[in-house]
Amino acid sequence: MPQLVTVRVKRPDRRPIRIWVPVLPAALVFAPIVILAVLGVVVACVVFHVDVVRALGTGWRIISALPGTRFDIEQDRTAVLVIIR
Amino acid sequence: MNEQRKDILDMLAEGKITAEEAEQLIAALERDQSPVASGLTARPRGKAKYLRVVVEALENGEMGRVNIRVPLQLLRAGVQLAALIPPQALGKANAELNKSGVPFDLTQLKPEQLEAFVEHLDEMLVEIDQTDAKVRIFCE
Repeated sequence: MPQLVTVRVKRPDRRPIRIWVPVLPAALVFAPIVILAVLGVVVACVVFHVDVVRALGTGWRIISALPGTRFDIEQDRTAVLVIIR
Repeated sequence: MNEQRKDILDMLAEGKITAEEAEQLIAALERDQSPVASGLTARPRGKAKYLRVVVEALENGEMGRVNIRVPLQLLRAGVQLAALIPPQALGKANAELNKSGVPFDLTQLKPEQLEAFVEHLDEMLVEIDQTDAKVRIFCE
């Protein structure tokens, strides 16, 4: 499971922004929204006749596979970097 | 022996160039080829873990760069997600693809085939080299 998401934004003539998001504390803070989202997924699965357990399992597998992902985009002195650890 | 080296030796044999010129041409050829060769063999043989997309492009005089690294595990999980798409949604997607001139039947695409595709991605190398842009897609 991801532990830390790092976001860095560099813009011309402005101070660069660096944000470190610890995933577990953030997930705990946003727990009510996460629970609502999971309930929404369960309802959608029931409506579209999709196996709920399989769908949630696959979703969890995707989240677990996220560490190591890195996006680094640079254009015209503007740069965005996202690293998931 | 590659084709270019053979051409140089042929020109030398025909007397079109001197031995010194041939040596210079072969040296230049080796200099051009060495980065490609080292790029191909740089990765240690073994299971690749990441898919890398590197794009360097010159736009309006400014250099743009995109460097993306995606774990192959994420692609495998994504393939499993694709298997969850309900048949009616696949039918609609097929109809839209047909409408756009892409006669592709998504229902015939089995998860095992997609998994096999992801499994063999580590042998893939895409290199596009133009004067103002360079794209590399590979696994590491």
